[in-house]
Amino acid sequence: MLEITDLYQTFGSRVAVDHLSVTVDKGEIVGLVGRNGAGKTTTMRCVMGIVRPEGGEVRWSGHPVELADRLRFGYMPEERGLYPQMAVLDQLRYFARLHGLDSSSAVTEAQRWIDLLDLKGREQDRIVALSHGNQQRVQLAVALVHQPELVVLDEPFSGLDPSAVDTLSDLLRTQAADGKAILFSSHQLDLVERLCDRVVILELGRVLAAGTLAELRSRVPMRLRVKVDAPDDWVAALKGVRVLHADGDGAVLGLDTDADPQAILRAAINAGPVEHFGFESGGLVELYRELVAA
Amino acid sequence: MSSFTTTVLIATREITERLRSRLTWVMTAITTVLVVALIVVPSFFRQPTRPTVIGLVGAQAQALAPAILATAKAAKLDITVLDVADEATARADLMPTRTRGQRALARALAAFQGTSSTIDVALTVNTDSAVVEVNQSLSPNLAALLQAIVDQAHQAQVLIAAGVPPAAVSAALRPVKFSIVTLQPPVARQAGADIAALAAGFLLYISVGIFGAAVASGVAQEKTSRTAEVLLAAVRPIELMIGKVLGIGLVGLAQMATTVGAGLIANVFVQSSVVPSSIWVLLPAILGWFLLGYLLYAFGYAAAGAIVARQEEVQFATAPFTVFLAGGFLLTYATIANPDAWWIQLLSFFPPLSPVLMPARLALGHLAVWEMPLAALLTVGFIALVAREASRIYSAGLVRSGARLSWGAALRTR
Repeated sequence: MLEITDLYQTFGSRVAVDHLSVTVDKGEIVGLVGRNGAGKTTTMRCVMGIVRPEGGEVRWSGHPVELADRLRFGYMPEERGLYPQMAVLDQLRYFARLHGLDSSSAVTEAQRWIDLLDLKGREQDRIVALSHGNQQRVQLAVALVHQPELVVLDEPFSGLDPSAVDTLSDLLRTQAADGKAILFSSHQLDLVERLCDRVVILELGRVLAAGTLAELRSRVPMRLRVKVDAPDDWVAALKGVRVLHADGDGAVLGLDTDADPQAILRAAINAGPVEHFGFESGGLVELYRELVAA
Repeated sequence: MSSFTTTVLIATREITERLRSRLTWVMTAITTVLVVALIVVPSFFRQPTRPTVIGLVGAQAQALAPAILATAKAAKLDITVLDVADEATARADLMPTRTRGQRALARALAAFQGTSSTIDVALTVNTDSAVVEVNQSLSPNLAALLQAIVDQAHQAQVLIAAGVPPAAVSAALRPVKFSIVTLQPPVARQAGADIAALAAGFLLYISVGIFGAAVASGVAQEKTSRTAEVLLAAVRPIELMIGKVLGIGLVGLAQMATTVGAGLIANVFVQSSVVPSSIWVLLPAILGWFLLGYLLYAFGYAAAGAIVARQEEVQFATAPFTVFLAGGFLLTYATIANPDAWWIQLLSFFPPLSPVLMPARLALGHLAVWEMPLAALLTVGFIALVAREASRIYSAGLVRSGARLSWGAALRTR
């Protein structure tokens, strides 16, 4: 298990990570979510030993992380970290060797990942000659070629087309099913919702919310979507009801605990023909917006 | 995995990638061809040395032949004498209207035919005078020799005519034993030593600069492409730095050895005057100082590559090292002009300048036995210091994002 406890890091006068604590267990996919500057990348760099944190601790299997542990971690930085003039196969072999694989195992594993990630036939191509998507596949292969126990991926889905996103998602699920602990960051909340077992929402280096998706969704109150063929000003007279947003499918209403759905229905009917009246559960996007706005 | 294995892996990657680069082979080929050409081409235009031919016109001049030859031998002048019938023949032989090339061709033809060669100097002796005719100029030593012999002959004639017995005349005119004792003889400078000193200084200035810059550029590329982040997750910064420095250095050493070796092989065939006979002592020293100089500067270049934010800033960050190297090469000229100057001797012990100045002083033959080992020891100590500071700056700079770090800020980093 990866345990990040009370992590603290500043850069100049800016607090990048502010007493952050996160755990990632084997077989678990944990998503770090937050806007730019929330502390996601710094947290990952602290895990990988690239940045030595000013406070707090990063532990793996119960002890502080050392170089020997990091050799069993796989890392994919946000901006691709590959040698542009080096061939695909050579690159994978090199990084596999650096992580402790012997020469023949490095070749075998490199070829296996080339096949798995649909890079067959591109072994001798230089990285600079590959498309963005293929470069991303090679970067992922570098992170996984040495069979790591913990995989840390910073924005792995950025710039990928939908089919590549599906491929990567399936791959991560497979790796988690194999017992790997996976920590990744993303701006794409719908992806995070689909993929992660637990989510940690960061803002200004602090944890705003953390938990399973079910736990996080329960924090978002139920919403009522009402489509009435009339202006929305009929809502203003209702107690404990407010318009969250409106779109072509009607108005989404936020309800306080004392709001009466029957009264809302009567008011809607009095306002005009009701085309839709139904409850919706809040998602990660709504929760994120609420927490960040608070 | 041990640090040694990791460092070797990193160095091996550097070597492999550089050997795969066409540019490496092209540059090696170009420099090798240039060095070989510099040695071989001048030899085609070199004229073989030949003795100065003195034409003796008339019986009186021809009688002086033994004395001229004996005195020239004692004075270590390379001359021969040739009897010439008359002044007209002598003047024609001097060929005043021909160019130097035409005269050289005529001499070569005469030598091939086995006929007498043309003369360089014509000596005519009369009763109270002597005339020396030359085409353009006469060396002062030869002029003094001929003057002395003609004077001696004339004095002998006058004394004999005055009734002094010939034996007494010979005894009177016998030269006094005259010897010159040099109390502090200057160090004999071998032929080609100046060129060798300049070439050694230039070679080291260029090669350390080129390969050091390659280190800086490679480090900057790893930083800006974020490859360094992936690497530092698995290796220590110092392993990465040393591996890169060693890998590039070994390829550089091989390139230098190829170029220098080709030059030496070429010299075996042409015996060029630009290559001193001490080359077999100078060569290991050049290679040794290349290694020391490269290590000293390469760690600094690595740190420079780590503090930049973009590849375009590498040249600016490495400027201090380029200035030191260029300054060392410029001082080579001063070393050639005045190798025993105290300030030259002092500066050659300053580690950033030793790799360029020490081989130059060695080429000139102006080094005591203890000087080079001491300079090497000082340089090794300096390398350790530079490596330690560079490692710290390298580790901090490689993962730092944002604007380029100034050298002042980099040195203050803890």
